[in-house]
Amino acid sequence: MKPGQWSSWLSRARLSPERRRLLAGPTAVVGLSVVAFSVLLWASGAPAQTQAASAPPAVDIAVGEALYNAHCESCHGAGGVGGVAPQLVQVGAAAADFYLSTGRMPLDSVHDQPTPHTPYFSKAQIADIVAYINALGVEHGTPGPGIPSVTPACAEATAGCPTLSQGQQLYLMNCAQCHDASGSGGELSHGYVVPSLRSATPTQVAEAARVGPRPMPSFGPGQLSNEQLSAIADYVHYLSTTPDPGGLGIAHFGPVPEGFVGVIFGLGVLLVAARLIGNRG
Amino acid sequence: MSTLAERAAARKRAERSQSALDWLDDRLGSSKWLRSAMDKIFPDHWSFMVGEIAMYSFVILVATGIYLTFFYNASGAEVVYHGPYRPLDGQKMTIAYESVINLSFSVRAGLIMRQAHHWAALIFIAAIVFHMGRIFFTGAFRRPREVNWVIGTTLLLTAMLEGFSGYSLPDDLLSGGGLRILYSIVQSVPIVGTWLAADLWGGNTFPGNGDFFPRLFVLHEFVLPLTLAGLLGAHLAVLWRQKHTDFPGPGKTEHNIVGSRLWPQYFVKTNALLLFVAGVVFGLGGLVQINPVWVYGPYEAARASSGTQPDWYIGWLDGALRLWPHWEFRSFGHEIPNPFFPGILIPGILFAVIYAWPWLDKRIYRDYGEHNLLDRPRDKPLRTALGVAALAFFVDLTLASATDLIGNALGVPFETLIELMQYGTFVAPIVAGVVAFRVCVRLQRGQVHPIQRPVGGIMVRDARGGYHTVGAAHDGHEASAEEHGLEPAGAGPPAGASEAH
Amino acid sequence: MSEELPFPRVVTGTHGPEEGAGAGTPWPGDVPPEQDDTWYPLRDDPWRARRVELFIALLWGVTAACGTGLMAVYWMGGQAQLEGALLFCGFSALGAGLVIWARRLVPGQEVVGSRGEHTSAPEDRSGVVGSLSRGTDAMLSRRGFLVKRVLVPVGGVFGIAALWPLASLGSRPDRALFHTKWYPGARLVTEDGRAVHVDDIVVGGELTVFPEGFIEDPMSAAVVINIGRDKLQAHTVNGYNQAGFEVVSGGNGIVAFSKICTHAGCPVSLFNVLAMQLICPCHQSTFDILQDCAPVFGPASRPLPQLPLGVRPDGYLIATRDFVEPVGPGFWDRGSEP
Repeated sequence: MKPGQWSSWLSRARLSPERRRLLAGPTAVVGLSVVAFSVLLWASGAPAQTQAASAPPAVDIAVGEALYNAHCESCHGAGGVGGVAPQLVQVGAAAADFYLSTGRMPLDSVHDQPTPHTPYFSKAQIADIVAYINALGVEHGTPGPGIPSVTPACAEATAGCPTLSQGQQLYLMNCAQCHDASGSGGELSHGYVVPSLRSATPTQVAEAARVGPRPMPSFGPGQLSNEQLSAIADYVHYLSTTPDPGGLGIAHFGPVPEGFVGVIFGLGVLLVAARLIGNRG
Repeated sequence: MSTLAERAAARKRAERSQSALDWLDDRLGSSKWLRSAMDKIFPDHWSFMVGEIAMYSFVILVATGIYLTFFYNASGAEVVYHGPYRPLDGQKMTIAYESVINLSFSVRAGLIMRQAHHWAALIFIAAIVFHMGRIFFTGAFRRPREVNWVIGTTLLLTAMLEGFSGYSLPDDLLSGGGLRILYSIVQSVPIVGTWLAADLWGGNTFPGNGDFFPRLFVLHEFVLPLTLAGLLGAHLAVLWRQKHTDFPGPGKTEHNIVGSRLWPQYFVKTNALLLFVAGVVFGLGGLVQINPVWVYGPYEAARASSGTQPDWYIGWLDGALRLWPHWEFRSFGHEIPNPFFPGILIPGILFAVIYAWPWLDKRIYRDYGEHNLLDRPRDKPLRTALGVAALAFFVDLTLASATDLIGNALGVPFETLIELMQYGTFVAPIVAGVVAFRVCVRLQRGQVHPIQRPVGGIMVRDARGGYHTVGAAHDGHEASAEEHGLEPAGAGPPAGASEAH
Repeated sequence: MSEELPFPRVVTGTHGPEEGAGAGTPWPGDVPPEQDDTWYPLRDDPWRARRVELFIALLWGVTAACGTGLMAVYWMGGQAQLEGALLFCGFSALGAGLVIWARRLVPGQEVVGSRGEHTSAPEDRSGVVGSLSRGTDAMLSRRGFLVKRVLVPVGGVFGIAALWPLASLGSRPDRALFHTKWYPGARLVTEDGRAVHVDDIVVGGELTVFPEGFIEDPMSAAVVINIGRDKLQAHTVNGYNQAGFEVVSGGNGIVAFSKICTHAGCPVSLFNVLAMQLICPCHQSTFDILQDCAPVFGPASRPLPQLPLGVRPDGYLIATRDFVEPVGPGFWDRGSEP
């Protein structure tokens, strides 16, 4: 589109074509920039992830078992004893809930790397399956980690109740090296993608730490207490739900997107401006 | 056209100006210089204004920077933060970091000033690089302008240092990581490296003894800006003395200069550019977040964040560190550590070549003469190809500093990317150079050179029915400005100029 | 906006060889009296000029409104996004007005001037050498002894003396690069001061630790990893094990390495449990834990030094001594450890 068209609306009614051309240049700089800024604004879309803390409906292990047999058994084996996929009798409720509620399971093929999706099952169905898998663990006497309870951090540091700031410190020491200080993820060796945490719920964050969905390491209660884990989850929640004080977060990947915006957009707009001010020769 | 009142007002204004300028001239003898300054001609091709974008970014950097110094506190001493940003409340940090957090959250308009300063820095160096590319590809560095090429290259280096030092001042996790790497690079210098690092940081091991931040601050807000200002002054003085280059074109020769006068035309235009630069910088400063130091947290040696990148203009150095193979030289109890080669040797060689380019260019083209008219890039295919190859090399290195992010975005292992980019340091320049060369040659063949192209030629049918061209000149050197169609059709020419007087 | 502006060009100046056009004033850029210097594109169209003027006034009115808005925003406590938007609009509108003004209403035509000579006349060139020789002859030819034999060495000595204060910038390099704060019996403690028990870390878990009493010491940071008993014993069989550096307890197999990358000193902390690799976030040096953290990818060329571990009777993990080699990136004298 020629720059002149940007401002044609301004002058369509009363001004002659020549007049339009006359005002087009500078107006185009302003207009183009406003449009570009608006696009940036629109594209940002602050992630609004809120944790629905509604009480879970009554679970039905029988329904869970039926769902398990229909969707999981082919790989994980009857009764969770394992098959082409790992056994599930010892993984515990946290693992089951994490993999199902983030949509990582069920997989189409055992060869795929589980990646986050829209959950396949409804919340109630997930609760049923989780209850069933938990029951399997109890039955074998080796239940894995249960779903960690996540409570908001306290305003004042008290014994057993860490603050948001402790959450940040723990996050930066234990999680940021892979998930980035801003929670936007990264990459491990051999092409394993580190997922973004910015759309995860606090419960999922805590579950992942306890479970250690490989290649991610696990964090047992001896490494991070329940309170500390809760503080981390709360901080991640804070990170991803609080609007960025500085404006658009541009993917929260630090200097690389910043450089891109500065060089391509910043200098780009100014080059257009220079072109309109100077002669084209 | 002008009313009697207007004329009277103009006369009165002129009288007042006369007395003011006389006052000045009585003391400084300034009128001659002032007159030539106001009448100075600036060619106004848009690409000549990119250097001005850099200059105006610098102006904004100085202005916002001075504001920031009123709030920044360069101290490595530890404090506990208590303030409005909850996730940091109660954390131990250096006073330097605390002052940046306070600047961002507790000082009204502090955040936008900080962010605008940072955006201006990115745009500043981007404009310098673009400007330098324009100079290179059009051969504007040729005699007599070698001096300004050298000053300009020094400006770029100083600007990069200035940018990096500013990026490091907040003492957050990201910048601390950058300083840690810099310490390792300095330490890697053979023989004197350990001493150098210890002297800069005031300690034998990173992060030194706390003397570093005051030193860095003095470098960032005094030594380097003063160097920049001095070099910029010299750059402009040389430009002023030598006058601007221009593209060849109708009426343009090696001995004349075509453009608008500084006063009032160019003055108004260039100020408009200053305002646009300010608009973009402050617009970005308020609307797009940059360097959220509160997210990175205070620096601590044992912590890391995965997306650890420098600002874009240091990216090529970081990329070089990533791409350089795992070589280290050890013998007789001594070693030359790995970071020395990509961190000091390679950049040193690259900048030596850039500095020497005007003289290398003379040798390549056996052209030692003076040039005020520019080359079109296509007319010097070899130079253009070499420049494009160098750009491809730098782009490859810069991309290499983002291997983890690119890998994450594309789902490609960073191992693959790094290997590809290692080959890329050889392949990309060669491919880009060859392509550029061929494009130049094709453009040359496909189009007539503007100097040789008939300019302003008009076909006229004469009374006998024959056709001939009027006003066609085949060489800019032969054509004086009047011969060319200087009054494009339809324009209101100042033909009535003489009538007006 | 691609068409050229109807600026006529004025030819000025007389001393350039190419400007053959008659007499004129000697000012480059000066306009000969027969040409008009007050012409501007809209001069002959007052109605259009008026309209453009009004449009510019409108743009600058926007600037004024933005300025008022800025004051209001500041008064109400400041808000970066509003400030940014207002500053952007204010500056841009002001600039846009100026551009329209310059291109339409400011008088001035494209001017041709002479470049003149930027070099000096030949007599000045030879004269400057003469002036220079006046001094250099006196100083170098007749008093060459003083300058060459005395002044230069004296200046050298004095100059070097003036450099000495630079040494005050830092302490003399000592052995700080060779040792860390780890000592025999030092418990492994986390950043928040908790001592690490041998059963604290689950298999496939990592933890960043410091020597007790030296929390957050930058050179001493270590990462302790539970690779599991089976993996530990398998890799012992492979012969990579540095004896006594590892701890087995129950199902756990615990190892500890320096967290400081041997390439450029970043904290090596990304842990790929499936590949049993530690990765540096800065330049992606990759270390294979099962080969005692030997570098397997990236620019690092030395393994991460391993911390010899032990267990106290009460189950707390301790270091049995310091790292066996200097940690972190290389330096000139690194091999000179006695």
